Amino acid sequence: MITTLLCWIAGTICAQDYSNATQQASRLDALAKAYPQMASLKSLTKTNGGKDIWVLTIGTGKTETKPAIAVIGGVEGNHLLGAELAIGFAEQLLKGSNTDSIRALLNRTTYYVFPNMSPDAMEQYFGKLRYDRTGNATTTDEDRDGKADEDGWDDLDGNAKISFMRVESVTGDYKVHPDDARVLVKADISKGEKGKYKLFSEGADNDKDGQFNEDAEGGIAFNKNLTYIHKTFAAGAGDYPASEKETRALLDFLYDAFNVYAVVSFGSNNNLSTPLTYNPQAAAQRIVAGLLEPDAKVNGMVSELYNKVTGTKDAPRSNVTGGDVLSWGYFHYGRYSFSTPGWWVPKTKPDTTKKEKAFTLEDPTANYLRWASQQGIANTFTEWKTIQHPDFPGQKVEVGGVDPYVLNNPPYKMADDVVKKHTAFLVKLASHQAEIDIVNLKTEKLANGLTRISVDVVNKGGLSTHSKLGERSYFIKKVKVAVQTSGKQEVVGGRKINLLNSIEANGASSFSWVVKGTGKLVVEAGCPTAGTKTIEVNL
Amino acid sequence: MKQFTLKIIASILVLASGMSVQAQLPDQVFKAAGSPVNPKVTVTWNRYYDHAGISEICKKIAAAYPELAKLQSIGKSFEGRDLWCLTITDFKKGNVDKKPGMYIDGNIHSNEIQGAEFALYTAWYLTESFGDTKFIQELLEDKVFYIVPTINPDARDSYMHKPNTASSPRSGVIPVDNDGDGLVNEDNYDDLNKDGHITMMRRKNPNGRWKLDPKDPRSMVQVGPDEKGEYEILGIEGIDNDGDGRVNEDGYTFEYDPNRDWGWGWQPNYIQNGAYKYPFSLPENRAVMEFVVKHPNIAAAQSFHNSGGMILRGPGGQEDIGTYNQQDIAVYDAIAKKGEELIPGYKYLVVYKDLYSAYGGELDWFYAGRGIYTYSNELWTPFLMFMKEGSRDPSENPAFSFDRYLLFQDAFVPWKEYDHPQYGKIEVGGMKKNYGRAHPGFLLESDAHRNMAFSIYHCFHTPKLEVSEITEKDLGDGLKEVTAVITNTRLMPTHSSQDAKNKIERPDYISLTTTGKILSGMHVENRDLNLSVEQEQNPQTIEVPNIPGLGSVTVKWIVQGGGKYTVSVDSKKGGTVTASK
Repeated sequence: MITTLLCWIAGTICAQDYSNATQQASRLDALAKAYPQMASLKSLTKTNGGKDIWVLTIGTGKTETKPAIAVIGGVEGNHLLGAELAIGFAEQLLKGSNTDSIRALLNRTTYYVFPNMSPDAMEQYFGKLRYDRTGNATTTDEDRDGKADEDGWDDLDGNAKISFMRVESVTGDYKVHPDDARVLVKADISKGEKGKYKLFSEGADNDKDGQFNEDAEGGIAFNKNLTYIHKTFAAGAGDYPASEKETRALLDFLYDAFNVYAVVSFGSNNNLSTPLTYNPQAAAQRIVAGLLEPDAKVNGMVSELYNKVTGTKDAPRSNVTGGDVLSWGYFHYGRYSFSTPGWWVPKTKPDTTKKEKAFTLEDPTANYLRWASQQGIANTFTEWKTIQHPDFPGQKVEVGGVDPYVLNNPPYKMADDVVKKHTAFLVKLASHQAEIDIVNLKTEKLANGLTRISVDVVNKGGLSTHSKLGERSYFIKKVKVAVQTSGKQEVVGGRKINLLNSIEANGASSFSWVVKGTGKLVVEAGCPTAGTKTIEVNL
Repeated sequence: MKQFTLKIIASILVLASGMSVQAQLPDQVFKAAGSPVNPKVTVTWNRYYDHAGISEICKKIAAAYPELAKLQSIGKSFEGRDLWCLTITDFKKGNVDKKPGMYIDGNIHSNEIQGAEFALYTAWYLTESFGDTKFIQELLEDKVFYIVPTINPDARDSYMHKPNTASSPRSGVIPVDNDGDGLVNEDNYDDLNKDGHITMMRRKNPNGRWKLDPKDPRSMVQVGPDEKGEYEILGIEGIDNDGDGRVNEDGYTFEYDPNRDWGWGWQPNYIQNGAYKYPFSLPENRAVMEFVVKHPNIAAAQSFHNSGGMILRGPGGQEDIGTYNQQDIAVYDAIAKKGEELIPGYKYLVVYKDLYSAYGGELDWFYAGRGIYTYSNELWTPFLMFMKEGSRDPSENPAFSFDRYLLFQDAFVPWKEYDHPQYGKIEVGGMKKNYGRAHPGFLLESDAHRNMAFSIYHCFHTPKLEVSEITEKDLGDGLKEVTAVITNTRLMPTHSSQDAKNKIERPDYISLTTTGKILSGMHVENRDLNLSVEQEQNPQTIEVPNIPGLGSVTVKWIVQGGGKYTVSVDSKKGGTVTASK
């Protein structure tokens, strides 16, 4: 009550929990209304669940002519923090827009913020039954048996959340964690260990096909639906790449946004804490499977920046599995592409006052439970409780375990700090963007009415104008260096229009023309990902 | 009002004259074997039709044969043209949506025009021959054809009505900035001599490496190492419109390749030239995909391209070799080898191996994405000119002699001087756009017929299911064992291996209806050795993963009571059949 009152007085939104789709929309709408010169909100499409896919464009003036970063949240529907990071970034950036530095930033950089790519799935967190959901509202037949959604989760213990069930079995492959009896870990058969339990997600075999919860409500997962190594026919991937409206809406928007030079997405993949490395074999394959060398260097440089700005460490390893937005951003869109979960459960130290000892076996759930208890977070674990299960007559079945969402989303009150750090990162990232300039202009009169003009076109930024792979893309504009003549002027030497694949960071390219005629002439150089400069030359 | 009356009179006149032209008096004509003698819909098959022309023929067929043909638009092209689909079947017999289906389209590459006429010929022939051809009657009782003559109507019309070469546009017409300079379509071909054809530019040059062909001066040949030439070849008719030092580098004629836009093995443009933004990012292909997904009864498919005389199957990409297993290849081989026999000059080839690796092709999605046996035919081959294999001897130059002696030089634009803004005095001339890839008129109908015959053979071999046996055995104690054998009398299984492997389509359902109580149901693996697998859930309807081509499956039930037995089979690609005992 007191908190609510304080929030009211401060006139800010001060939520106690993550925002649902309606709340997200009103936060975005509030931004567009509060900063009409700097933010505009547009719905790209509606999902099959009837939810808007928003894009908030942040910038000033002609935003489409400024180099841009795409910021994508809600990449996975169970990652509430991802949407919060994207919206929170927009809020904090715009709040800071009265400062000179942010104003200057927004004069030269555009941000396209896609706050939530999984609104259908994310709504499950706020629904009657809380379970880990990444699939949208498209009806699918995950187990491909000809029937859709016929075996979903069942809340056997009636606590409105889906956790786990363990079944005692002589052929069980799970055992109790040696340091925390609440936690199950895989028995290591190679070490002669024996399992005691079979572990399932909470539910019944509704269609009696021997599998549990294999075809629940919830269809296609955005982060499996994109075009790079799409796992066609796999559960949640879709029968073909980009089958979903939200996927296509994002791709359609971005393919037309030639000014985007980097994509930053918030999801389980992480190439910011630890960069992807250069693998010559993978990079040389016909179907390119690894970062090209210069791009791997950029990933390394940006990763260093990320670790420094956010101060995060000990990130769990992540594996790109295909169909994901991180890979798409680089391999298919041809832009620098980065992803981070933003937050993970910190590595805990044993609390000696409680006589805790260091774990003899590392396990994320055990680590979480220790961390949660140190933080005073309660009620995120359901004690194992024996139930009668229709599919296991005569066997001991217990329901319990850790709650959904808690391993990859911090308690909401911690989110603000994560947002601040990532806002700082996104601001810093923009300070490295490529910037074209025209320098060292020289005009030499060769005769009356005949002039040699020479210039250097330079990239003053810390990133190349294009990723190395992006230079091959069909949907990228090249660096154009051209002279615009007027009146009777005529270019008699040199190329009037030059197209370059890229200019690397701190790189330069020299041009000269011999022009016949008098008066003013314009030299133009640039591309959408690095801005365009023009200079006037007097002949 | 006056105008309106005039219009009515005009249309009556057109109708009247149309009718008098349309139907010959029955006693004036004599049937040639295998062709409709007095068709209700008269179509001249030695010329090509633009989208409006195709639309009109489609409408006429649907109007003339309401019980055999229905016309629908399955979507709109980028510029809003209808993608017409003729559904051809015997609508009076069976449930159309459950008959094994054959999908045919043409013209995905807009310059490869004759695919539309070939597809349309198939629709026309099936409807016009139904009346007096028993085979066609039986075929249309069992099967359904979905025929979409052109799936690229915008650029078809562009090809015909705008200046082009025989190879342009291959694309659709969504604008793309080909050269990445920020401007779109700023440097297209230029029809310098305004004849509607984009031909070649040559210039007299004492240092040139070309001379006139002594056998046919319209043609150019390269000179030998010790010879002096008279001409240089400057390239395809055009101007450097944007002053960037390149000619014809950003036109509407090649924006993307619609046959690199399909949702299996798709790769981006830098790996697969021609790819657009993501699979089915082109509205025409998206409409086809949605239609196919909505019609799971489609078991076979054919797409028409040109040229070269080929019957192609996938895989398109080398990475996909494993997708095609021996069982499916056997079906492909059997049908295509028959095709080689039916269409002289055509060779059965595999895309990745015999042509080039191509990702995201239509035939790959149909087969690997949907489990549909699919061919692409490359229509027209120089073999058809003199009914012999092409010669490697350049002096034979059959294209020129065919044009000279059989087309009377109608396919050639004579060289003519032109004052070019960049090249100065040049000459423009060469083969017209309707020659080289499109069939010459008099060969169009016969090759269309042969390719149709191949499609009919292909369609014939989609599964045909029969309940070939229902046997009752008394087990004592009031229990009966009912065994049913379901036979597939055609080449294709109900699930191609790719389908079965990925469970693309649901299993086939074999159901028993009886007055008795069904206690148990089994899929019999080996009847002689009494091996079977029980299906505990819902034993009344046994789910079998596949009914093989030229093979059978056996199921059985244990029934209490017994009595009359009705066995129904429901297969998505194999159709439905019911029998009682």
